[in-house]
Amino acid sequence: MKILEGIPVSTGIAIGPACIIERPKLNIERKRIHPDEVALEIRKFHKAITELGEEIDHLIADLSQPQDNRDILTTHKMILQDVEFAANISRLVKNELCGIEEAINRHFTNVVNLFNDMENEYFSLRSSDYEDVAYRLLSKLLNQKSNYFAKLSENSIMITKNITPSEVTRVFNKNIAGFCTEGGSKNSHSSIIARSMNLPTLVDIQDLLQMVNDKDLLIIDGNLGKLIINPDKKTQDHYQKLLAEEKTQLNYLQTLIGKKCVTTDGKVIKLMCNIEIPEEISNVVKLKSDGVGLFRTEFLFMDKNRLPSEDQQFEIYRDIVKQLSPDPVVFRTIDVGGDKLSGLLNIEHELNPNLGTRGIRISLKHIPIFKVQLRAILRASVFGNVKVMFPMISTVGEILRIKEILKECREELKTEKIPFKSDIKIGAMIEIPSAAITSDNLAQECDFLSIGTNDLVQYTLAVDRDNELVDEYYIPHHPSVLRLLKLTADNGYKYNVPVAICGEMASEEKYIPFLLGLGINEFSVSPGRLLMVKNTIMKCNYQKAVAKTNQILKENTYIDVMKRIEEFRL
Amino acid sequence: MIKKTIIIDNQLGMHARPATMIVKAASKYRAEFKIKKDDTEINGKSIMGVMTLAAEYGSSLELIADGVDEEYLIEEIAELFASKFGEE
Repeated sequence: MKILEGIPVSTGIAIGPACIIERPKLNIERKRIHPDEVALEIRKFHKAITELGEEIDHLIADLSQPQDNRDILTTHKMILQDVEFAANISRLVKNELCGIEEAINRHFTNVVNLFNDMENEYFSLRSSDYEDVAYRLLSKLLNQKSNYFAKLSENSIMITKNITPSEVTRVFNKNIAGFCTEGGSKNSHSSIIARSMNLPTLVDIQDLLQMVNDKDLLIIDGNLGKLIINPDKKTQDHYQKLLAEEKTQLNYLQTLIGKKCVTTDGKVIKLMCNIEIPEEISNVVKLKSDGVGLFRTEFLFMDKNRLPSEDQQFEIYRDIVKQLSPDPVVFRTIDVGGDKLSGLLNIEHELNPNLGTRGIRISLKHIPIFKVQLRAILRASVFGNVKVMFPMISTVGEILRIKEILKECREELKTEKIPFKSDIKIGAMIEIPSAAITSDNLAQECDFLSIGTNDLVQYTLAVDRDNELVDEYYIPHHPSVLRLLKLTADNGYKYNVPVAICGEMASEEKYIPFLLGLGINEFSVSPGRLLMVKNTIMKCNYQKAVAKTNQILKENTYIDVMKRIEEFRL
Repeated sequence: MIKKTIIIDNQLGMHARPATMIVKAASKYRAEFKIKKDDTEINGKSIMGVMTLAAEYGSSLELIADGVDEEYLIEEIAELFASKFGEE
């Protein structure tokens, strides 16, 4: 029995045989070219280099990747653009009349051998970078795409070096029990999809491919982030039992699909999904939620070579809206830091991106881009129930400015005779303390408010939630946060504006009764958590929750708050 | 042409990250840039060259720059080595 550690992407347990998926071998023809073809081969080479270079640039721009990965990618790009590499290739093609693929293969084989011969292991390991670049470049030139997932059998656990989002969607149809990758990060697109499907997944497992053999019995423990290889009898029994319990619970949760989400005393709660990519929609439909409470539109901008056009955005929005009609879809306009868009826009590097030009600040700084998105959303509104909300609002002035821009968009569309609904609802995200404190003003200018707890906690407590060193300061139930939630909920009530909640707090079992007790009646959570949240809500009594919430709000320290919360769960 | 000898002072030697930093820095200049270790001389603007030098902690390298901005190039590269590539 061996145990490897990885980063859990979604909770849950999987047991099954290992199925190792490796990249297919490349078939490189050994051919001699005619001297007339030299120029053509060299052109092919430069085109492939440019394209791959751009692909790498976009990976580097993706800040959800750990810095280490991005450093490696920077090295890869340099390997690709190496002057000596280009010189050697052109020599091989011109003097020896090699085909371009063979020339590249010969070049990299030599380099890799050079590394493998080094005595210092730390250096010799670097050959993998050259192999990686060579593989990507050659598969691009050979245009090789084969179905190397064919060998995956049902209930197996897929083991692979890396997986792209398009591959994940292909893999899902195979009914595998789970998967593990050697690379990857918690918030890559592939991971998001895995999470929303509740598929047990571990990423970033060191030496995975060396440690696992095909058909080894594997256990993924998504709660502890462990991969157990060939478990002993005792471990196996233990996990079989856990898995059985999990299945019973899961089967029970499945019975909630289609049931109305009400508290025991009859208060109806709207339960919606947070979505990051269109591929998740089919799952949302299956869950029969009340719609999408947060559609993050960042994916449109993140790994693209150019800004998405109005038509491209419109088509994506329209398809989603159509699939969910008559349930609402709340689009949130682009919410990333400028650092992530530096490849697309000319944005200066900022020392502190979380407090810099991000969210609505980007949109208001680049109004033409903002208008393209608003117009696409307006156009999609014809096909169902569309709402739009704005991230990182810090003052009511921003909402007023947005309304002016929206008005311009409507007028333009009208002149162009393009149909849209004139009355789509607009909302402000409440995720900056200043917005929560002035939520009375915002409520008077908006049709709804939506609380994003992740950022609200981060900005209220001045804690970077991605910084492990200050983990202990990230306390969602800190009295300051609870009071801001209360203030926002009360202002919503006062001005008769619905208040929704879409941060992670909304899907944490322990906080749900408190949030209900504030009078929040719209929860938006990730699809993977939806049924669990529904189950919790349906067990709550609203009147009692109100009383408990008021007691919790009287506590002075977060320790006492947690004591109360725990007490009330019993 | 100017030459400067330096000793590698960071524990891990000239692995991928320092090599990337050197090539990135050197490529900004017009001068030719070579690095010599023992009898091997490589193009200092080629990541492949720099990495295949496999220069470990304590090894001695000769930096050779030749061109209009050679002084600046040598100065920046020497500074990178002196800073131990920000590793310690």
